[in-house]
Amino acid sequence: MMRLFTLALSLIVPSAALAAGYTHIGPIAAQLGVKEHILTFIFVSTLFVIAGLIYRAKVSGTKNPIIPDIGITFRNIFEAMGQFIYNLAVNIMGEESTKKYYTVIMFFFALIFANNCIGLIPGFLPPTENFNTTLALGTFVFIYYNYQGIRAQGLWGHIKHFMGPVWYLAILILPIELISHGVRPLSLGLRLKGNMEGDHLVLSIFSGLIPYIVPIPFYIIGLFVCFMQAFVFTLLTMVYISLATAQHDHDEEHAH
Amino acid sequence: MELNAVLGLAAAFTITFSAIGGAYAQGKAASVALEGIARNPAAADKLFTPMIIALALIESLVIYAFVIAFLIKPAL
Repeated sequence: MMRLFTLALSLIVPSAALAAGYTHIGPIAAQLGVKEHILTFIFVSTLFVIAGLIYRAKVSGTKNPIIPDIGITFRNIFEAMGQFIYNLAVNIMGEESTKKYYTVIMFFFALIFANNCIGLIPGFLPPTENFNTTLALGTFVFIYYNYQGIRAQGLWGHIKHFMGPVWYLAILILPIELISHGVRPLSLGLRLKGNMEGDHLVLSIFSGLIPYIVPIPFYIIGLFVCFMQAFVFTLLTMVYISLATAQHDHDEEHAH
Repeated sequence: MELNAVLGLAAAFTITFSAIGGAYAQGKAASVALEGIARNPAAADKLFTPMIIALALIESLVIYAFVIAFLIKPAL
């Protein structure tokens, strides 16, 4: 069904118009007066909310939700994704931290993966191609892990992290730590934006040259890059949260 | 030389040299990780995650250079 839908969409618009920059959401956004990347983001989020509601309906319809279905069904895809991120989070953060922060981490992964992947469908621009979207996501991660760090260790405990291991080196280490923390949302945003823009550019140039069989390897690379960028964003978020909320009961050395 | 010519050359050289450096560093990281997996195949899962983090962090430096190259290239 999805394949038919994608094929139908890509057949409706001739490749010359796509190469000239036509997108499906472009005219709608120009008519409504909002920017195109915001409208695509709202579109993907609405699709995700609908998918979540369908998943909820399917789970509440079965008698024993712990037993998965047989084969590849709608429910199994979401559960496989959730389990993958859960195992990763348990490896990095430990069991009890994962239970507290799993919702936000899964939110980032699923949202960024869906937003990246919609750029693969001909006629859509990925909203993460625009620096505004990725900087907003990076800033949200920054605010979130600082807030969790202050909540877990108090304001003074969180600021002591910036001072380094010993008190007499604090005057050297404090500016380095502040700069490195301040660059984090920028680096998260730039990494995502640069990868998506480069990948979409390569895809559109090759599709413009030879629209029929040759772009297939570029689509495979595109899917891989979409998944890898969402994965790296989520991984770095988990590392930042675990660094900010690390408890100092046992002797562990800080990796700055 | 005119300004557009110099800017074009600068953008081309930026991305070229950063791609060379980035590919060399990523090759070193990947080769050490693969060697570790070859010595001890049971540790493949534990080695995979840090290798991916290292590859993505090295690649992000190349991406910064790509963004700068796009910002300074002159409109043809």
